[in-house]
Amino acid sequence: MSAPASQGEVRVFADYERDFRESCDVVVVGSGPTGSVVAHELAEAGRRVVLLEEGPPFTPGEFELEGTLSMTRTMREAGLRATRGFVMPTMQAIALGGGSLVNSAICVRPPEFVFERWCSGFDLERTTRKDLEPHFDAVGEFLGIAPTPEDVQGPRNLLFASGCDALGYSSEPIARNVRGCRGSGECFTGCRSRAKQSMDISYVPAAIRHGARVLTSVQVQRIRSDGRRAAGVEGQVVEPFSGKRSHRFRIDADVVVLAAGCVATPVLLHHSGELANRSGQAGRNLQFHPGVAVMGIFPEPTHPQFGATQGYQSLEFLPDGFKLETLWAPPGVMAVRLPGLGLEYKRHLARISHCAVWDAIVSCNRSLGRVVPRRGRLDPVLHYDVHPEDVKIFQHAAWVLAEILFAAGAKRILPGIHGVPDVLHSLEEAEVVRRGEMRASQFVSAGNHVFSTTRMHGDPARGVVDELGRCHDFDNLYIADTGIFPQCTSVNPMYTGMALAHRTAQALVERT
Amino acid sequence: MGLWLALAALLALGLRRVFVGYPGPGLACLAPREAALVAAASEAMFPTGGEIPESGPDAGVPAFLDRYVATVPPQVRLLMRLLFFLVEHATLVFPGPAPRGWRRFSALEHGQRIAVLDGWRTSRLFPRRLVFTSLRAMLTMGYFADPAVLRRIGLAPFAVDSPVCEADLLYPPIGRPRSEIRYGPADLTPPSDGTPLRLDGPLHPDYRGGAQ
Ligand SMILES: Cc1cc2nc3c(=O)[nH]c(=O)nc-3n(C[C@H](O)[C@H](O)[C@H](O)COP(=O)(O)OP(=O)(O)OC[C@H]3O[C@@H](n4cnc5c(N)ncnc54)[C@H](O)[C@@H]3O)c2cc1C
Ligand code: SF4
Repeated sequence: MSAPASQGEVRVFADYERDFRESCDVVVVGSGPTGSVVAHELAEAGRRVVLLEEGPPFTPGEFELEGTLSMTRTMREAGLRATRGFVMPTMQAIALGGGSLVNSAICVRPPEFVFERWCSGFDLERTTRKDLEPHFDAVGEFLGIAPTPEDVQGPRNLLFASGCDALGYSSEPIARNVRGCRGSGECFTGCRSRAKQSMDISYVPAAIRHGARVLTSVQVQRIRSDGRRAAGVEGQVVEPFSGKRSHRFRIDADVVVLAAGCVATPVLLHHSGELANRSGQAGRNLQFHPGVAVMGIFPEPTHPQFGATQGYQSLEFLPDGFKLETLWAPPGVMAVRLPGLGLEYKRHLARISHCAVWDAIVSCNRSLGRVVPRRGRLDPVLHYDVHPEDVKIFQHAAWVLAEILFAAGAKRILPGIHGVPDVLHSLEEAEVVRRGEMRASQFVSAGNHVFSTTRMHGDPARGVVDELGRCHDFDNLYIADTGIFPQCTSVNPMYTGMALAHRTAQALVERT
Repeated sequence: MGLWLALAALLALGLRRVFVGYPGPGLACLAPREAALVAAASEAMFPTGGEIPESGPDAGVPAFLDRYVATVPPQVRLLMRLLFFLVEHATLVFPGPAPRGWRRFSALEHGQRIAVLDGWRTSRLFPRRLVFTSLRAMLTMGYFADPAVLRRIGLAPFAVDSPVCEADLLYPPIGRPRSEIRYGPADLTPPSDGTPLRLDGPLHPDYRGGAQ
């Protein structure tokens, strides 16, 4: 199958003038971190690759610095997608590069116990951390993943380190896929310094150099198949931002790789006639790392607009079910979590220049949801509920964040928990956070790490894909996005997604 | 017949209370009643004075929301409109504090509006709190979109030069053909060297005040 690589290119919305049909060795749906890795590795190995992406490519002139306007352009449902049940915002990007364009570039390898759980709980034999190390290494080297340098940390990150030190908790600069960070704290709206190695400026151009054809503004609507074989995909051209559909296209391929993201892939399978779902697991087992954030107000200005968006973390509490990290976002987004209204609200807003916000991402392995397709639409409904035992982890995490903030010198903290006073002035007052039983709905949470809707399982009756990402029901249909995680990673998921995608790509190179 | 007439009159009166009698015109996207609600709510949320002198209307919150509502997808726009409708008219059913607390939100006095919003904020019912949080989030984004407000609290974004990288030779501006790609190989510049931004460095041109 490996014909010589074709001339690589990008196509954008203005290039499509009529319906079209093309063929290739491997078609990859979705240009997020996982799809881009697959496309690059296969193109580099000489396969004729077509990478399809619904969103457009963004360049710095198109980044919106204001959070809301940025979200309407880069996120699905204008960034206002939320789960039902436990109501929690969850963002999925629609752009060349997928989530990597707007994320904080945090790259963490999960601890061994995560993979041990995966292997023992899901009949996997080759997915230990040791098995994946070479793939982590390859991706890490390509993207220049390295700890955030001290000189771009800024006060709100360094205060976290000092708070952890004071309490004897471990902490470390976050490793990120970034080269030459200047500490602008605006990873969420796009890196104007071109320092963040998002896929659109790293793996995708490299894939093009190796001959990949990258088609942007194309929405895949159906996977074509015949028996146990996928034959390609079809869909329509979509106008950026308006989503207006026009010309139809069809790509015939020997291998189809779905990397449309954990939310979109199960919907695509459903729209293709419940494809690859003999197990009944597609769309089920939806997991998040709900985030719990606490803001501290310090006596001196923290100049939060300076510093790596997320520069420091602590893995101390991973065994307890949460990871701690520093956090920043556009000021309007941060302000939303402040209490009050009227002049009182303004008083809080004026103190943002003295704040630090730190958050915990929670491993909610007991809390499962579903992606439910809507008729005729690719935007799904997400159902999710938090298990009461997982709410206890929220409480524990909020308490530890309070401890660290006070240890770092915060004069007061704003826990943002309904039923708890808006402002707490001491650790004694903060006791209320860990006392008593709370409900999930008391917490203001967000869930941008999403997984497990097409989970990997050694038993075809209990999972959608095998260890290498191949759909159990198919010979040549693969899934590479974070939907294949059997459970959550306990740490930020992108790096694991890319390592698994790298392994899938290598397996495909050997098989094709 | 008399009963029907009375019912029809009541209905007409009810509709009038809901839809008619807004003083100002609408904005480009927001209808008159939505524009009135947004102006009233932004005034209540961000009154004049205090630690940031600009009020919500001073900071251009209604105009911002007009633009914002116009850009979101239709389903989201519908939800936003429902939210505005709910907040504007809930006081016809659950009145604000006396006197005359049963008027539309935008027709209430400033203190009454604050009391009504506080009722949403502190409700024991999660959906009511959610309405408040959603409304406040939109208003706050609009308030913080104002360069003067951001400068006042020291959070205006810095000026940042963007190096020209390989990707810039591949992608045209969104919606434009590839013939409009702005750069060629001769325009490539060295990548960012990681020099930290300076706190006293220049601000992004869109956020500089007149004095700068
Ligand atoms: C604000 C934010 C911050 C985050 N920060 C971090 C972080 O710092 N570190 C970390 O590890 N993780 C982070 N995450 C999560 C991380 O970005 C995701 O886990 C990661 O992007 C998932 O990669 P993916 O390839 O599976 O899917 P995505 O990145 O979601 O990519 C899927 C792509 O497929 C495209 N697509 C979908 N449907 C179709 C279709 N029908 N046709 C064509 N194309 C389609 C989408 O437009 C998208 O570009 C963050 C997420 C968000 C939203
Ligand atoms: S903090 Fe700023 S410079 Fe650093 S990677 Fe993020 S956006 Fe780029």
